[in-house]
Amino acid sequence: MNVAAQSEVPLSRTRSINWAPALAAACALVLVAATAEIVLDGSLGHSILIPKSPEIAGWLQGVGERLGYRVFLIALLAFSAGYAGLALLARSVSKRFAIALIVVLHAIVFVGPILLSTDVFSYIAYARMGVEHGLNPYTHGPASIASDPVYHYVGQSWKKTETAYGPIYTLLSYPFGLLGVTGALWGMKALAMLASAATLVLTWRCALMRGRDPVTALLLVAANPLYVIYALGGAHNDLIMMALMMAAVALTFAGRDAPAAATVVVGALVKATVAALLPFMILAKRSRAQILGALGALLVGVLLALAAFGIDGVNIVAALNRDAALVSSDSFATEIAHLFGKPGVFPIDHDLLKALLVVIVLHLLWRTWRGYDWVAASGWALLAISVTSTWLLAWYILWPLPLAVVGRDRRLLYATLALQGLFVIHQLTPLFAPVA
Amino acid sequence: MSTRETPFEQRLARLPPWLRPLDSEQPGSGRQWRIETVVMLLVFLLLAIATVNDVVLGTHVNHRLVADLRTWREYTGNNYKNISTEEDVKHYTTTDIVCGNTVPGPPKERVQLCLQMTGPVVRGRRAVRGGWYLPPKREDLHRYRYACYGAPKAQGACPR
Repeated sequence: MNVAAQSEVPLSRTRSINWAPALAAACALVLVAATAEIVLDGSLGHSILIPKSPEIAGWLQGVGERLGYRVFLIALLAFSAGYAGLALLARSVSKRFAIALIVVLHAIVFVGPILLSTDVFSYIAYARMGVEHGLNPYTHGPASIASDPVYHYVGQSWKKTETAYGPIYTLLSYPFGLLGVTGALWGMKALAMLASAATLVLTWRCALMRGRDPVTALLLVAANPLYVIYALGGAHNDLIMMALMMAAVALTFAGRDAPAAATVVVGALVKATVAALLPFMILAKRSRAQILGALGALLVGVLLALAAFGIDGVNIVAALNRDAALVSSDSFATEIAHLFGKPGVFPIDHDLLKALLVVIVLHLLWRTWRGYDWVAASGWALLAISVTSTWLLAWYILWPLPLAVVGRDRRLLYATLALQGLFVIHQLTPLFAPVA
Repeated sequence: MSTRETPFEQRLARLPPWLRPLDSEQPGSGRQWRIETVVMLLVFLLLAIATVNDVVLGTHVNHRLVADLRTWREYTGNNYKNISTEEDVKHYTTTDIVCGNTVPGPPKERVQLCLQMTGPVVRGRRAVRGGWYLPPKREDLHRYRYACYGAPKAQGACPR
């Protein structure tokens, strides 16, 4: 290499190194601006995207206009573009900058209204049924407390539905029921923030343990549009499930097999989906401690559920079967039905999808038995559950994301992000043809 | 493999090599990886086509519904905001039913006029083939309909 060439290489590198942080900062700014736009417009109250809610973000009013599809979808697209840019430039982002960005995004969402979902009011309704009305949320729907102030805010489709969440989550939510609707709402928002913080800290830790760049892992999860706007914005309990899921992964990485398996069971008693991790974890490690840990946690959990809610509190299969029969317009199953000229999903399709899921899970179990990374296999299983489900919501496609960023198969990360991209694209119809 | 194997591990070690559990994947030809990747790409392609198709379908439906609302407002001369549209989800045709109050009032709190709309969107409007009335506070169910006219009358859309 001649002298001129030698001097050119460092120059071009310097240039790219100088530009990358500036571009990453611009992407971060887009994320903050898009989140702020949604929150400020959302603070004006009930709209097609903002559920009816006690006025918790009234002090933010006066800047924006009521949140409609156009502004929301443009902000969502801008956020997604900023996220893509940030993901590509993550290596040039400092640890301090990444954490600051995530704190700012969390803070903006925390002070704002509940976004895009009434689920949090169902959580509060179930808690109030238990502590204020002495009713079992596993045998009664919110309709049985129609005089309670929270009833007004529960989603129309869920007013007669018993809780589908695990007994540990229901017990965890009970203290919030004593705080009144507004107090409970702030409590649920704070709980979602704490669960998110735990998920992110554990993702960071797991990435370090796997020799991956923790900043990239952190940004891929915490700056994800579905994570910030849908999961955090709606204060969804999926964040608690994800925190327990990552705790189990971190414990396994640390060689603590029994507590790891017990943590998965606790997670499943919050939201059943996370139980998908357990067979992969057991097949990979083949340790007796795991089985004992899982059985111990299951025994304690079942006894707790029986004492608190009777036999209905442990009948998770019934709740899962009920939810599996639901159909949402955003599900890939519905989209494929439309593609083949069918008006929607038929009962036979549910059976076909379940059979497909079984085949995928069996293949993943076999691959794990033969040495495939169990974390990636668990992530694939969660992704397969969301893709084959006829009831797909934005935060369901988030489940595999923390596993994807620490897993050994990068295809899982690309597949998860690609499906999230399709989900975002599917939301865009009102942007092309708004209904007046 | 450790020197102090448990009886379970000893049993596993007696399995044929292709059935034995492994702690990490053996470096192979990458054939399985390639097959999996191709299958996943095909699945993604199907999902991407289905998603785009759904967005296009949804856009067409929204255009139609906008035309339905405009047509109802012009037909009745009432520029109301709260008008309900109902698609034919049973037979999956493009025939829509659009209902709204006949006089000002909260949604569905007055006598409602429902119009049956069919055909393509022409200059932002659709053809009205007839309709019926509904009493206040009633959903559009067969038993509540009265005074059918036009095509719905011939179709027996009203109970009498």
